[in-house]
Amino acid sequence: MKDLLRILIAPLIWFVAFSSIYGLHGLICGHGLQAIQIGSLSLPRPLLVAAYLLAIGVQMVVLGALYSAQFRSRSGFVRFVSRATGWTGLVATIWSLLPAATTSYCV
Amino acid sequence: MNTLERHRKLSAIWASERGLKGWFSTVNHTDLGRMFLVTAFFFFLVGGILAMLIRAQLATPHSAFAGPDIYNQIFTMHGTIMMFLFAIPTFEGLAVYLLPKLLGTRDLAFPRLTAYGYWCYVFGGTMLLVSMLFGIAPDGGWFMYPPLTGAIHSPGINTDFWLIGITFVEISAIAAAVEITVSILKFRAPGMSLDKMPIFAWYALVTALMILTGFPPLILGSVLLELERAFGLPFFQADLGGDSLLWQHLFWLFGHPEVYIIFLPAAGIISTILPVMCRTSLLGYGWIVAATLGLAFLSFGLWVHHMFTTGIPHMGLAFFSAASTLVAVPTSVQIFAWIGTIWKGRPELHLPMLHILGFFLTFVIGGLTGVMVAVVPFDWQAHDTAFITAHLHYVLFGGFVFPVFAGIYYWLPHFTGRKRFFRLGEVAFALIFIGFHITFLAMHWVGLLGQRRRISTYQPEDGWTMINLISSIGGFILAIGIAIVLVEIILHAMTANRGKRNPWKAGTLEWAMVTPPPAYNFASLPHVTSREPLADDPGLPARLARGDGYLADPPTEGSRRETLTVDISTGRPDYHVAYPGNSRLPIILAAVTGLFFLSLLLKTYWVTPLAVTGVAILGWLWVWSRGHKKDMPPQPIGRGIKLANSSTVDRSPGWWGSAFLLTADATFFGSLLFGFAFLWTVAPGWPPPALFEPSALEFATGLAGMGISAISIRRAIGANRVGDKPGAWLVMALAGTGLVAVICITLMLRAPAPPGHAYGATLLVLGGYGLFHAALATMMILFLMARVRGKFAMTACRAEFSVVKLWVDYAAVTGVLILMAAHLPGALG
Repeated sequence: MKDLLRILIAPLIWFVAFSSIYGLHGLICGHGLQAIQIGSLSLPRPLLVAAYLLAIGVQMVVLGALYSAQFRSRSGFVRFVSRATGWTGLVATIWSLLPAATTSYCV
Repeated sequence: MNTLERHRKLSAIWASERGLKGWFSTVNHTDLGRMFLVTAFFFFLVGGILAMLIRAQLATPHSAFAGPDIYNQIFTMHGTIMMFLFAIPTFEGLAVYLLPKLLGTRDLAFPRLTAYGYWCYVFGGTMLLVSMLFGIAPDGGWFMYPPLTGAIHSPGINTDFWLIGITFVEISAIAAAVEITVSILKFRAPGMSLDKMPIFAWYALVTALMILTGFPPLILGSVLLELERAFGLPFFQADLGGDSLLWQHLFWLFGHPEVYIIFLPAAGIISTILPVMCRTSLLGYGWIVAATLGLAFLSFGLWVHHMFTTGIPHMGLAFFSAASTLVAVPTSVQIFAWIGTIWKGRPELHLPMLHILGFFLTFVIGGLTGVMVAVVPFDWQAHDTAFITAHLHYVLFGGFVFPVFAGIYYWLPHFTGRKRFFRLGEVAFALIFIGFHITFLAMHWVGLLGQRRRISTYQPEDGWTMINLISSIGGFILAIGIAIVLVEIILHAMTANRGKRNPWKAGTLEWAMVTPPPAYNFASLPHVTSREPLADDPGLPARLARGDGYLADPPTEGSRRETLTVDISTGRPDYHVAYPGNSRLPIILAAVTGLFFLSLLLKTYWVTPLAVTGVAILGWLWVWSRGHKKDMPPQPIGRGIKLANSSTVDRSPGWWGSAFLLTADATFFGSLLFGFAFLWTVAPGWPPPALFEPSALEFATGLAGMGISAISIRRAIGANRVGDKPGAWLVMALAGTGLVAVICITLMLRAPAPPGHAYGATLLVLGGYGLFHAALATMMILFLMARVRGKFAMTACRAEFSVVKLWVDYAAVTGVLILMAAHLPGALG
């Protein structure tokens, strides 16, 4: 079961991060949070970028764990697949959530 | 015992009843797999005839033989049948038939569940067919968007047939998914570690997990829309706090993964057959497994790309557009792995290979048009045109039907034990391939010229006449090709000569048996040391038949069907399993389940509680028959190994089955919470006019009930394990679930005006969900009490306690979340 977890963990985190940031974007637009200012910055951008960076950070930690002696699987096959899905999770997070840092929100 | 004696004894134990009655009582996976496939192919033909009617209607502007009302039913049923009654059941049938053979075991994890799923599929599908015969078939399109399908705009029974019939059929899909998941993880030949699993098993595992997490949002959507239609709970009515976009989210949360649920098993067929056709091994096994998993996950992040024209903000569009382009990467990994396999092998152009080549060309074109519609500006232009219809047919016909035909021709000698004689298949392939591309290339073209999908006719001056005529001619060529396939299969099954074993010289275990396969699959179970055991050891079938493997000796007393399970990762033998025998319980339970759905459809609500009671009684009998009054000692499995019986372990098949069923259940619940949050955030008319009045007493009582039940069931398990009587703790657990039930009823009664606003309606559903699970947990605890009272050997047989604990814990955790969702908004003001 632990081996299955190793294989599934990074994509699962991507899915949670993707849904959460999409949900956060919905909250921002649905509840008028875009009007709140922090200094010269409007609140949503730092909030979205922080969530984006957090998601990337978590994926990097997971990937590191999958390479570490402590957490890696004893099976060579599971090690390979879990690292491949780990990279998938990281790249998917960086690419699919990039709009959080770059595109306009609530338009 | 010699080979023939062993065969006779095992056949007597495992065979279905003879004659027609065997159809209704069989729980054998080979029989049920064939029944699934034949039924699915029947529905494919019905869906195909409907497609021909569509093409006949659109062939010229003057050929309209059906008015818009009937035409709406025709295209709705075409899509519905192909998606729900052909594609998914074909995967189920193929997996049910093949998996135990590929995995080197004797049956799936829950044989009676396989049968129950099959009969739910048959009854649910029949319900939809009957609606069509009476001219009251669903007519809102296969994705049933409200408000069109709400009670105001579609007041008839047509939409109800879809919502209730499809939910009924989806029980079959969920049952099969649980079955397949547990079977692949636990029911394999000893030695078959994860890296030695046949590649089709990986695809089937991923597909089954996707069904468990992809189907519940649609089931929830169907339940909510039916509640709106039947009882006026306004989940999708904008003037009463609902939002029709909620349906689109729930539908496409299912609908997009559904595309991959259909494609992945087909890709599994390709990955299995292609290396055999190329006389080599699959290139990049590990990469393909990783790509399949990546594809499965990414497919859950694409659902909004079906909603690009609904006015979602740019950032939302960009998220889903990015994810949609990304999904091309793991798909390409698989395509390149297959091309590499062809490159390193020596391809032989047998008939399955022709269909694989047809798949390649068609699917790649479908994938490329998929990338086109993933780009938002293009999608805005092409949305709801025939271009989209053409794209989805390239993906689904190319990505599913060609591989399935390859699979049919590849495994036909296995299904029948005969060799191909009538060489009609090559002609059929040519007609199908040419006909398909004429039909749908033309449809791309006419879509780009502006022809909307689902129109029942058009004007000559639109300039689409010639293209539509060409498309219709292509459609009929395609239909002739499929008819020839049907004729060839029937002739083959009835008249062809007996074939030799393993005609393709494949390396996987399904060919390590006589064909057609015996009811028990393997006379003794193999010890697996590689991915292609038969290629490494051509003498394996003879040795297994001689009894050189595990479980070679049939039980001396009784007619117990037995197999063994393995550790998930390593493939080390884990425990022994005794199966139930042939039974009519699955078909009876499916019929009573059908009565429940029928009572909702016909609005004869007095029958509903009777049907629910019937299901509960039959469910009780289902499990009760599995009890033992004497301890099951460790069972010998051969080679000097003894294994504990599954009734004496904590992680029994029932526990695994429950865990994966609860995964689907949790997805359903998560979707409900998502719907609640979505309405609160996006829908007009929120916050609601009146919030639920919070009550500290009710909140605390609910929490206490959940805590008591969760703690008491653990104490009951502890007492049982050391030989004490667990009865008192079970009574406490019962009291706890009873309290939870009472609090849920209170929540339902106090929900503010459910028909007046989506807020109250959602609280009513949340309360009903909590009540249902509290009632289920209560029934399970009562079951344990009856077991203790009946003096079943409970101390050793502890598997049932672990299963009940899982359900009690689930009821407690979801109960806490329901209480918070109901009470916190009011408490926070």
